[in-house]
Amino acid sequence: MRKGFVAFAVIGFALMAPSLGWAARVGAPAPDFTATDTNGQVHKLSEYQGKFVVLEWTNRGCPYTQKHYNSGNMQRLQREWTSRGVVWLTVISSAPGKQGYVTASEENAYLKQANAAPTAVLLDPSGTLGHMYDAKTTPHIFIINPKGSLIYNGAIDDRPTTDVSDVSGAKNYVSIALEEAISGKPVSTPTSRPYGCSVKYAD
Amino acid sequence: MLAFVGRSNAQSPAQSHLKVELISEEATSAPGQPLWVGLLFQLDQGWHIYWQNPGDSGQPPKIQWELPAGFVAGPIRWPQPIRLGGGSVVDYGYEGQVLLMAPIKGPSTRNTTPLPNLSADVKYIVCRDVCIPGKAHLTLSDSVGAAWGSWRTLFEQTRAQLPKPAPAGWKVTAVSAKQNFVLSVQARSQVGGASFFPLEPSQIDNSSPQDFEPTHNGFRLILKKSDQLTEPIRTLKGLIVFGPGRAFEISAPVASQ
Repeated sequence: MRKGFVAFAVIGFALMAPSLGWAARVGAPAPDFTATDTNGQVHKLSEYQGKFVVLEWTNRGCPYTQKHYNSGNMQRLQREWTSRGVVWLTVISSAPGKQGYVTASEENAYLKQANAAPTAVLLDPSGTLGHMYDAKTTPHIFIINPKGSLIYNGAIDDRPTTDVSDVSGAKNYVSIALEEAISGKPVSTPTSRPYGCSVKYAD
Repeated sequence: MLAFVGRSNAQSPAQSHLKVELISEEATSAPGQPLWVGLLFQLDQGWHIYWQNPGDSGQPPKIQWELPAGFVAGPIRWPQPIRLGGGSVVDYGYEGQVLLMAPIKGPSTRNTTPLPNLSADVKYIVCRDVCIPGKAHLTLSDSVGAAWGSWRTLFEQTRAQLPKPAPAGWKVTAVSAKQNFVLSVQARSQVGGASFFPLEPSQIDNSSPQDFEPTHNGFRLILKKSDQLTEPIRTLKGLIVFGPGRAFEISAPVASQ
């Protein structure tokens, strides 16, 4: 154990916690954003009103992300849901110099090599979009309904490991939430603890 | 009298950024008495592993015991964690060295004997700015190493520093407000500072500052709720920490405002 210890922030008196709003609260309108993809195209969330939108945070150096790409699980989800009219936006919030940071052309080459099939990959090296949603991990999934409300915030599935063998048999929260929402049912698991590596934001 | 030796078998693959060993507190196991064994993690500088609630990212080590017939392992006694990271992603875990100890109970009819053959499969993720998964199959071996005299001391030191049950005189309650939990501790004495480590994930926002308010007989902590929390919770469980070796387990009933 380390010798030092966390310094305690001792606040004098009766200060209430700053009333920070929730970043991305299920049931509330999803924060609108504008972001540029790897082909230079600009995406604005509000332009996708009328469609389901999935936001998937990624970092290809992260072993939890690799579990879902090396197994083909993520690509399969991307194909399945985009073919059913869902907008799937992969987001990279790694800062320059940090793990997972890529240029647009590097990412396009990787998408081809990995046979990935998102609608687009949004480059967010400043972390603006990541902080707007308070994305914590890679992967971390958010789902927005056609009215622009957030209906899911959490993990991709219920097996928080890096083992590829855990993909089959896992309860995939993304597919369950989308199936339920598309058929007009309430989402049975609207939140879960996202598991993965920390998003590599700028210091 | 039990001997002052333990047994171990180290495993340290290159580039794993940690060394993990299975060690025991005693050289023999006595009938009816639990034998304490532990996974001793020694981490490279800057690297960490995770507490039972890892916080925003990562995962705690997962241990699968392989025990002789009639033996059972008790739960791991997780030492007090530290807060890791300072930005919008905050985790709870360990740096440097940590011993995750657990009691092993054998059949009560056994006489004092040499250590049973036991081993453990451990899976972990070790992180610095990047994360690397690892696993090891560890065995309490029969060989005796030179450094083993110190294991008993290490178990004793770790045990002395473990989180303790909250003092009997404490009254701990929580109120659920719109965006916060207000955790109140009546401790019968004034306190200069404290922090809360949640046992359950997705209840409080790990990266938000915890506002500390002293009261005449204790203190309050204002804890921002997690974005992942959508249902009311009945209890807020975790550790109240005043400093190294001063962590107390609490379970606060939550009332709505």
